[in-house]
Amino acid sequence: MLEFFRSSAVRVALAFVLVTTAATTAIFGLVYFQIGEANEARNRLILETEAAKSVNRSVDELKTAFEVRLTNDLRRIDYAALFDANHKFMFGNVDALPEIPVDGKSHFVAAAHVPGSVNRLEPAIFVVRERPDGTVMLLGRSLLETLAYGRIVQRALVAGLAPMLLLALGIGAYFARRSSRRLTTIHDAIARIMKGDTDLRLPIGSGRDPIDKISRDVNLMLDEIGRLLVQLKGVGDNIAHDLRSPLAVVHAQLERGLESSSDEQLRVVVKQALAHIDKATLTVAALLRLADVEYGPKSRNFQQIDLSAICADLFEFYEPLAESKSIKMTLESQSPVQILGDGDLMREAVSNLIGNAIKFTPENGAVSISVIREDGQPVVRVRDSGIGVEPGERDKIFQRFYRTSSGHRVPGSGLGLSIAAAIANVHELDLRFTDNNPGAVFEMVGRRR
Amino acid sequence: MTNDPEKHVQTILLVEDEEEMATEILAELETRGYLVRHASIAEAADAARVGAAAVMIMDRIVFGEDSLITLEALRKEGVKVPVLVISALSSVDEKVKGLKAGGDDYLTKPFAMVELAARVEAMLRRLEDVRTTKLRVGDLEMDLIEKTVHRGDARIDLLPREFRLLEYFLRHPGRVITRAMLLQEVWQYHFSLETNVVDVHISNLRKKIDTKGLPSLIVNIRGAGFMLNAHA
Repeated sequence: MLEFFRSSAVRVALAFVLVTTAATTAIFGLVYFQIGEANEARNRLILETEAAKSVNRSVDELKTAFEVRLTNDLRRIDYAALFDANHKFMFGNVDALPEIPVDGKSHFVAAAHVPGSVNRLEPAIFVVRERPDGTVMLLGRSLLETLAYGRIVQRALVAGLAPMLLLALGIGAYFARRSSRRLTTIHDAIARIMKGDTDLRLPIGSGRDPIDKISRDVNLMLDEIGRLLVQLKGVGDNIAHDLRSPLAVVHAQLERGLESSSDEQLRVVVKQALAHIDKATLTVAALLRLADVEYGPKSRNFQQIDLSAICADLFEFYEPLAESKSIKMTLESQSPVQILGDGDLMREAVSNLIGNAIKFTPENGAVSISVIREDGQPVVRVRDSGIGVEPGERDKIFQRFYRTSSGHRVPGSGLGLSIAAAIANVHELDLRFTDNNPGAVFEMVGRRR
Repeated sequence: MTNDPEKHVQTILLVEDEEEMATEILAELETRGYLVRHASIAEAADAARVGAAAVMIMDRIVFGEDSLITLEALRKEGVKVPVLVISALSSVDEKVKGLKAGGDDYLTKPFAMVELAARVEAMLRRLEDVRTTKLRVGDLEMDLIEKTVHRGDARIDLLPREFRLLEYFLRHPGRVITRAMLLQEVWQYHFSLETNVVDVHISNLRKKIDTKGLPSLIVNIRGAGFMLNAHA
């Protein structure tokens, strides 16, 4: 319960109740005041007009009129009387003139004797006016009705306010409980996630309120952390997987070496073991390199680099290798293709693509490299006439360690394309594969924003 | 490989806190005829200050401390000893940091011992580098101004990339040169390759500079790389 009152929603609800009460009271007061005022002004006007109208009537006419008024028109005139020039009572329902000026204007009298009663008093407005014949006429109106009206307004205020206060408190309490319950579920969810239930996400309501918005953001953050965890685990798994088999082989080889009878045999075994260890070392280096490209600092020292120059340089570097396999290698690049990037990384990516193309293209084949801008986007395209990629394997070639079934006998770590894809990604380029019938086309294309 | 008389008087300082790694490096370099001193970073710095070291091999992190701080301090004092930084930190950024701090070369663990030895030997050679316009090994002569190469009287036409490759060999005769070193020094490529491009370049160069019937000037060193036969 203490928790309940500590909840900010409850405090907001209480403040809301207070403000509502004040506002409602103010409105009621204003209405009461305005209506009372208007009512009184109207009464005064009626009295003054009646008094003015009656000035020219004869005394007899007046007497009849008074009687009619006082019996039939109770709502407008409550007091009517005529006095002579000496202010002596002549007729009507008021015995004595109140002490107000004889000026035909309305005046407030706090305590007037109620006509027909012995000593009941009430507030009233009176007009006293001198007629041409010297007599003095009095007209008056009780304010009792106005007061009664005020009491009605007060009662209405109390009657209306009480349920409204309850309602406001109820709504406040409802929202407070709702939000505290939601915060509790969020708290519980976070506690469970922290305990290792990393697939759990924060509950999200239907609304677009701040709690939902923050929950959604936190969930996105958890997704990203989860993705990184999976990748990290993937790197670990990959290293473990790719080290386990060479280690097992080396272990077996060395055991065999121990049992061998001649030094020569031992030497052969040791050499084989070393070769396996070297391969494992290369793989570890490639995996670390991949992790470095993928998870390295986002704010790399990027500069303007020319893809054409990089490709020309690598073309020259790989030319002798292509020649040694009688592969016809061509380079198409007319003008500089500038992008913001890291020259060393880009050289590594393109080197992987060209190296792959030559590696998987049989003798007398062709490899063509083109650097162009297509629709304003930079494109580096490496096309070969090699063994290509089987349709069923096309979505797998960018996976780590994936070696195509046909390319299995060609040496390599199986990480070249992964590294190239990661480097392309860092440069906001997409590395894509298309079929060249026969052969493969790998292209890095600028990502449209 | 160990018949170079001057090598024996050169002391190599080794700063490495991993005992097993230090033992292996000591063994490798001592087999090659070098005097190696395994020292703490403070001892090594003092030795370097008085010029008692030809090359310093420095692990990047020694007992949890970044040794680049000491290296930077040494460089500020004007100590010029060539330094090879070895490290398990493999990212490009770390390499750049190592070189900026004053390292002359950076080798990431794990590495082959031949690679380490080759790097150290290249550094020792760098010391002996003299400004010259002509490089010569046996009857092979390179004119750096004219950009020409002669074997005996015969002129050999080389492509620019072949010229650069041969120049590197001529500057390091009799030293083991690894593929990684060639990639880094001749082509300025800072990544490893899965193809044998470098071997093809070497074989093309051999075809141009070698004399038929005689052993090649550039020999293969199994499991390590290549070497220009200094006594051809």
